Amino acid sequence: MTPEEFLNTVMEKFPDVEGEIRENKLPHPRKRVWLNVDRTKFKELMRLIKEIDPNAQLSIIIGRDGGDYLEAKYHLELFYEQAPSISLVVGTKCPKDDPTLPSIADILPSALPYEREVQEFLGIFYEGIPDPRRLFLPDDFPEGIYPLRKDEKGISESMVKNAGHPYKMKKEG
Amino acid sequence: MKIPPTLSVVLSNLLKKPATNPFPHTDPVPTPEGFRGKVVYHVDKCIGCKLCVTVCPAGVFEYVEEIKKVTLWLGRCVFCQQCVDVCPTNALEMSNEFLLATYDKYDDNLRWLKDEEIEELRAKQGGKT
Ligand code: SF4
Ligand code: SF4
Repeated sequence: MTPEEFLNTVMEKFPDVEGEIRENKLPHPRKRVWLNVDRTKFKELMRLIKEIDPNAQLSIIIGRDGGDYLEAKYHLELFYEQAPSISLVVGTKCPKDDPTLPSIADILPSALPYEREVQEFLGIFYEGIPDPRRLFLPDDFPEGIYPLRKDEKGISESMVKNAGHPYKMKKEG
Repeated sequence: MKIPPTLSVVLSNLLKKPATNPFPHTDPVPTPEGFRGKVVYHVDKCIGCKLCVTVCPAGVFEYVEEIKKVTLWLGRCVFCQQCVDVCPTNALEMSNEFLLATYDKYDDNLRWLKDEEIEELRAKQGGKT
């Protein structure tokens, strides 16, 4: 299956998904499929992708604070037995006053650690996540602080420690 | 008993000399060309452009506004050589020195342009202008 065929198949089933194929020239020419989907349709779309390629591999979830919304991009590799495989990036977002996305750990089990990470670092909550515990942050890290947020829920000045440069330390007394 | 497959190698190695360098009784293994050792700072060549402050990933440099020079604390240096490559006047250079262990992290050996020197330069420049 080529990236074009894949995109057509998806667009037929989900006409309101934003989809495009971008190609980078350097360092190696490579086509990538980019999809953007509303969070209400997101889980169905992931089910369809899993149907198209039951061996689809989820590489990573990348979360981002976009100002008044939070965004998550899911990077997948489809048909990796063939060369070139299809590289796919699925994006979805949620508003900050209702920061929830559906968990896809039941469709792609490898999503779980990434969902836990996004949950603790960005404060996107996953509905139906089988294991909501923290993954990387220590147990004594304060609740309600999400280190990758750019707003007031992020790391405050007082939490940042600098080991200090001898020249500066002298100046500050 | 089964003969271990490594036996012949072990036996032949017993007859060879040890391939070790008994430092500090000998000189250390010589450094190759282009070795990245302790950073050397030539104060007189520095024009205070702050490029090294911008490029250093480890926060080694602090800019000293009054004398338009930089002060270095190598306790943080990761020997990446980026400051040397970016410096337009070659005021920075990498030496061969790598025996830098110390009891004090603010040791004089790990610093360039220390406080007394800054004072001295400031007094000199103050007299000029
Ligand atoms: S070598 Fe790298 S880490 Fe060391 S002072 Fe230069 S830029 Fe900073
Ligand atoms: S880059 Fe060189 S000239 Fe510029 S401030 Fe640093 S040491 Fe001085």
